Amino acid sequence: MSYGTQSIHRETFVLNLGPQHPATHGVLRIKLTMDGEYIDDAEPVIGYGHRMQEKMGENRTYVKYLPNTARMDYVAALFNSHGYVCAVERLAGITVPERAEFIRVITAELNRVASHLLWVGAFLIDLGGFTPLLYTFDDREQILDLLEAVTGARLTFCYYRFGGVCNDIDDEFIAGTRKFIAHLRSRMPMYHAFITKNIIFRKRCEEIAPISAETCRKYGATGPVMRGSGVAYDVRKLEPYSVYPRFAFNVPVYPQCDCMARYLVRMDEMVESLRIVEQALEQLPGGPVMAEKVPRMLKPAKGDCYFNVESARGTFGVRLVSDGTDKAYRLKLRSPCFSNLSLFQECSRGLLLPDALALLGSLDLVIPDIDR
Amino acid sequence: MSLEIIKAKFSAFAVHGAPLTAGADTPAALPVSLVVETRHAVKGYDLDVTVPPERVTDAARLLDEAAFMLEAITGLDWIAEQQFEVVYDYTSLTTGARVTVRARLPRATPELPSIAGIYPGANWHERETHDFFGIVFTGHPGLTTLLLPEDAVFHPLLKDFSA
Amino acid sequence: MEKQTEVPQGLIHFAMLDKALALARANSLWPMTFGLACCAIEMMATGASRFDMARFGCEVFRPSPRQCDLMIVCGTVNKKMSPAVRTLYDQMPEPKWVIALGNCAISGGPFKFPGQYAVVEGVDQLFPVDVYVPGCPPRPEALIEGILALEKKLTGRRRWPVASAS
Repeated sequence: MSYGTQSIHRETFVLNLGPQHPATHGVLRIKLTMDGEYIDDAEPVIGYGHRMQEKMGENRTYVKYLPNTARMDYVAALFNSHGYVCAVERLAGITVPERAEFIRVITAELNRVASHLLWVGAFLIDLGGFTPLLYTFDDREQILDLLEAVTGARLTFCYYRFGGVCNDIDDEFIAGTRKFIAHLRSRMPMYHAFITKNIIFRKRCEEIAPISAETCRKYGATGPVMRGSGVAYDVRKLEPYSVYPRFAFNVPVYPQCDCMARYLVRMDEMVESLRIVEQALEQLPGGPVMAEKVPRMLKPAKGDCYFNVESARGTFGVRLVSDGTDKAYRLKLRSPCFSNLSLFQECSRGLLLPDALALLGSLDLVIPDIDR
Repeated sequence: MSLEIIKAKFSAFAVHGAPLTAGADTPAALPVSLVVETRHAVKGYDLDVTVPPERVTDAARLLDEAAFMLEAITGLDWIAEQQFEVVYDYTSLTTGARVTVRARLPRATPELPSIAGIYPGANWHERETHDFFGIVFTGHPGLTTLLLPEDAVFHPLLKDFSA
Repeated sequence: MEKQTEVPQGLIHFAMLDKALALARANSLWPMTFGLACCAIEMMATGASRFDMARFGCEVFRPSPRQCDLMIVCGTVNKKMSPAVRTLYDQMPEPKWVIALGNCAISGGPFKFPGQYAVVEGVDQLFPVDVYVPGCPPRPEALIEGILALEKKLTGRRRWPVASAS
C-alpha cells in the first residue's frame, strides 16, 4: 500500500486461529499472516482430527466398517454410509429392493434437512447471532426423533446394510414425517423473515468473499459452494443413483458467488428435499427391505469401482479396491469438505478477518470429514 | 470436448496392453499406456487411462482444457508387485462423465511430477498421498505433512507399515 | 483490656463456607467450547432449547480456557492434538474439572485397534478425568446425568433423586 509518493512500511504479524476456536467447527488451525485487520495469507493446518479411517478400511471387514462411515461427516452421516454401501454393492453385484431404495432416499433427504438446519444455526453463531440456533435445533430435534425411531441413533446412524436397510419404516414414521414436512414448510417464511431479511446478516454476507466458478472447478469444491457460484452440478441429476430419477425436484443455483448465495442455496435445498421426501412417501412401494442371499462374510469380486453421492456438503466419493478377500485392499474416501477447504487459502487473501470467518462458515465444514 | 475426442487424444500417448487387475500376476516391467472404456454403471467411471508417470501433467492439461474438475488423487500400494499406483479422478461438470488416470511407479523410488500448477486443488491431494505412501511429487510448491503430525516420518498406508 | 485467646462459639463456621462454595461452584460450572468430533454436536444439542443445559447453570460456554472451570472433552483426541489439549487443561485455573464425553475420550472408542497410529486411547492418559460419560455419542440426557454426577462429586448430594425402577 502506498499513499502518494511515500510507501508505508508494512509489518505483518502471525495470528493463530485454533485448533480450539468457537468458529472453526472442530479442530482446524489456521495460521494467519495479518496486515492489520486484513489477511495477507491464511494457511489451514489440518490433521488434528485424523482418525485413520482409510487404514481402518483395510483392517476391518466390510460389515465391521459400517459404523466408521457415520463418524466421518457425522452431521450428515447417512450420505457417507450410502456411498460406502453402494460402492460395495456395485463390486459385489448386489441389487437392492425398491422399498429399501425409497427408504434410503427418504432418510437421506431428512438427514440433509437436519444437516442444513444445523449449518444455519452454526453459521449465524459465527456471524454473532445466537438466536437462530435455538430455532433450527428445535426443528432438527423433530427430525432426529423420527430417524431415531427407525434407525436407533440420533447422530451416527448405522442404518444401511449391504442389500438394503436393517429396519423397515412404519405408519407412525410416515405420519410423523408428513406432519414434519408441513411444519417446516410453515416455518420457512419465519426463517427468511428474521435471518435472510435481517440487515446485519445481509451486510455480513452480500458481496462478501466471492468464489468464482473457475476456482471451484480447479479446487474440486462441489455442493452448495459450487452451486452458489452459478455451476449447476449435482450428482443426483448428472450421475443419478438410487431412485432419484423418479422424483421431480430442482437444484437451486445462485450466480452471485458470495456468502449470501451459498446460504440461499442451502435454504432452498431444504425445501427441495422436503419435496423429494413427500413424493417418495407417496410412491413408496411394498416389499422387502433387504436383499435375499447376501452372504454374511461379504467378499466382493476383485477389481475397483467408484461411487459418489451428493452429500449435504458436496460430492462424497468412495473408491473401493478389492482383492477378493473379506477386507478392502484400499478404501479411498473422497471427502467434499477437504476440497472445499483447500480453496480457503487463495480466496481469503485480502479479506477482513470477520469476512474470512464468514467465508469459512459458508463453506460448511465438518473437520473429521476432512481429516478422516 | 466429448469423451470420444478425449479418448482419441489420450490414444496419442497410449499404447494398448493387457489390463491390470488387483492381485493378477503381472510382469514386473512397468506398462506403457492404456486406454480402456468402461461402463459407468458398472465401474463408476467412463474412461480408464494408464499413462507413464512423466505424462500425468499432459493428462491433467488435456482434461483441464476439456473443463474437467479434479475430484481426487490417491495412491495404492501394490506390494506384491513392488509398485505404487497413483490414481487421479476427473469429473466433467456438464455431462457427469468421469475419467480415471493411473500411473505406476517403482516402489523403491516413487517419483512423478506434480499437477498442482495446473489444478491448484491437487496441492492438498498430493500432500495427503505423500503422507500416506511416501510418494514424491516433484515440483510441488510445499510437500509437507497434511494429516499426520509435522514431525511424522512414517507412511501409514503402506502394506508393510506397523505402528 | 485482656487479650482474647478464644474465639467465641458460633462466630466463625468454616465447614459451612466450604459447603457454600461447593454449592456455588456446582451450580455455575462454566464449560469450555471444546468440541473435537461427533460428541460436540450432542453437546450443542444439550445446550439448545430442548435439553437446556442452562437449567444447571452450565450455559455459559467460554472459548477461553482462562475463564472456565469445566472442560468437556467431546470427541477423539489424537496425537497431533494432544499437546494442544494438554496446554488447554494447564491454562484452566483451579479448581477445574473434566468430563470425558463419549467412548473416544474414555478409551479411544471405535478407533481403538491394534496397530493404530494416531489416536490417544483415552483422554485420562493426558490428565485426570472426573466423570466418564459413555456412549457413541452419548445422548444429551447422558451428558446431563454426567453433569449431575459431577455436581454430586462437588457437593456430596445429588440435585435430583434418582428415579425408582418402577
